[in-house]
Amino acid sequence: MGDDLPRTIAPSSRVRAALVVSVIAALAAAFAAATHESAALVGWLAAATAFAVTFAAGARARELRASDVLREPRTRPGPTAAEALPDDVTRRGVFDRFWGLAAGALTLLAVVPFVALARAPRSNGTFWKAGTRLVTPDGTPLRVDDLAVGGIETVFPEGHLTSYESTAVLLRLPPTVAVEGEHGDWVRDGNIAYSKICTHAGCPVALYRQESLELYCPCHQSVFDVVHGARPVSGPATRALPQLALDVDDSGYLIARGDFDTPVGPDSWGRTT
Amino acid sequence: MIARRVTRFFDERFGSNAAVRFAVTKIFPDHWSFYLGEFALYSFALLVATGVWLTFVYDPSPAAAYDSVVALSRATPVGYLMRQVHHWSAVVFVAAILLHMARIFVTGAFRKPRELNWVVGFLLLILASVTGFTGYSLPYDVLSGTGLRIADSVLLAVPFVGGFLENVFNGGAFPGPLLLSHLYTFHVYFLPVSIAALLAAHLGMMVFQKHTQFANEPGSVVGRRMWPDYALRATAAFAITVGVILALASTLEINPIDEYGPYNGWTVPNPATPDWYAAFLDGALRLGPAIELRLFGHPIPALFWPGVVMPTIVLAVLICWPWIDARFTRDARAHDVLESASDRPWRVGFGSALVCAGILLTLAAGDDQQALAMHVPVEALLRLYQLLVPFGSLAVGWVAFVFARQVAARRRVGELAAERVVGLRRNEVGGFDAEAPETAA
Repeated sequence: MGDDLPRTIAPSSRVRAALVVSVIAALAAAFAAATHESAALVGWLAAATAFAVTFAAGARARELRASDVLREPRTRPGPTAAEALPDDVTRRGVFDRFWGLAAGALTLLAVVPFVALARAPRSNGTFWKAGTRLVTPDGTPLRVDDLAVGGIETVFPEGHLTSYESTAVLLRLPPTVAVEGEHGDWVRDGNIAYSKICTHAGCPVALYRQESLELYCPCHQSVFDVVHGARPVSGPATRALPQLALDVDDSGYLIARGDFDTPVGPDSWGRTT
Repeated sequence: MIARRVTRFFDERFGSNAAVRFAVTKIFPDHWSFYLGEFALYSFALLVATGVWLTFVYDPSPAAAYDSVVALSRATPVGYLMRQVHHWSAVVFVAAILLHMARIFVTGAFRKPRELNWVVGFLLLILASVTGFTGYSLPYDVLSGTGLRIADSVLLAVPFVGGFLENVFNGGAFPGPLLLSHLYTFHVYFLPVSIAALLAAHLGMMVFQKHTQFANEPGSVVGRRMWPDYALRATAAFAITVGVILALASTLEINPIDEYGPYNGWTVPNPATPDWYAAFLDGALRLGPAIELRLFGHPIPALFWPGVVMPTIVLAVLICWPWIDARFTRDARAHDVLESASDRPWRVGFGSALVCAGILLTLAAGDDQQALAMHVPVEALLRLYQLLVPFGSLAVGWVAFVFARQVAARRRVGELAAERVVGLRRNEVGGFDAEAPETAA
């Protein structure tokens, strides 16, 4: 055992100087902070304090010549050193498996409060109903011609601007593009609307590749074919974006004809539709 | 002397000099790589110090969270620095843990009797990453809000209990009213206290079992004394950790949330990439196959495989590594002397393959930006990464294995050559007798 204390010598002037520098830097940092100097200046002065202490500690360690390599015995509890335990500890004579069951039951009780943290049941409800107007994020209702051809706009059901699950994206297809199939009737003058929540991981499908008529999710690069029901054509998504059937009311505003055709957002075990 | 008075005060009341004597005369093996864990420890200290301060100004309600963080950053240089230092400390914390773990891995320091300390260390890595994620989500800016939505979707993708997990996470459906207060509770109470408890166990086990060493003297601890030598070195290590983090925080702005803007659910940042230590998961989500299986009519979303199954398998293998390694080496003995990395070429190979896969998945989380910069379609880059992650990692692992084996073979040849210096002496009957082999000078 290295019990003999190494010869202590007085700190050298280098060590002393470094410590003085650290004190000055710390005071300067405090002053700079109090006078609202830039954060960079405050931070660098504080860093200088730390670096000066680093230097002082390193220099002190060197000059103490304390770095002689020493040894102490290494004893380890091996199989021979393991002491035999009293019989009643190892034989489970005191606590048998029924105690284990009781302990398990108590643990289960401890979990119950955490289960109770789950409050509201998960809702897929949106505020889209037949006749609900499409409004922009600032609440302006949209007419059939408000969105320019090739344009994209985030839309909400009128009166529900913060409804997360209702978030939809309205696109205006060029007149040359025809939407065929059963959803052909869900388009009005090129206006076509889909849920903005990606069916992969729930990010807003915010980017529009105008030339190829595809919606593109910036999170994981799922690509949806706008003309063909927003079916996924590339990336990790497996399900089309829910579509909103559109119509025009008597005043010429775009309205929904009902809720989205499929559930909004990523799939889960509980979603069996 | 103050020190004498203080030690006497406590010794007369608690008999503490024996413990102090044990502590200061303890011998500590020394090597530059042993400081990696210390850097992690000191950055954790800095995290706690700055984090406590931040709790005074942060408001964990969805409506006020973002504004409270922006206000704190703008009001004073100290407020701005506190946030910057806190975030940079988290980055250094996770980085130091990973490097420390890599050192433990290649030198075989996890072997018996230290398996449990590997497990504890590994739990610390997981806790550190989760704490980091919950922490950078608290400002509720558009980037971290998007990250929360993705994490929420991954929870939702777990079979049977997904909806329940999401519900507990949010206090309802996303974005639940309790989301931030749940995160806040986790981030400032549950996770740091768990980290502190495991750290105590981690360090306690290290002191109790004594540190491993490179010196090939199994019977003794070869190193330097705690006092004054190691105390000074530890002081230097602490001060340089603080200095480097402060310098980083003052120079390179991290997570500029006032540029991102608040989260509102319908805008999204582009690029959308998480902090680097969580990026491999995001990369995996990008590369994952677009396959949704159905089990008894219930969907198993595509997210489940890269988001839950992949990390679980990797974590399970790593956490059991001491026992897997013992099985491979057929070595159940206890070891205190470290191995050199090349002693176990397949270990180096496996580790390199894993690191390579991690790096590739992390890079894949930026595939859209790379595609943009290189003027290639992102779909092509995606295919490339899908091939590179399995095959590139295997190739890198194989190269590392061969390289380590070469190094080991070359060293073995050197040792044999050194052993073969044998003196010969003519004996009486005309033959030769070998003298004792010369020991290397």
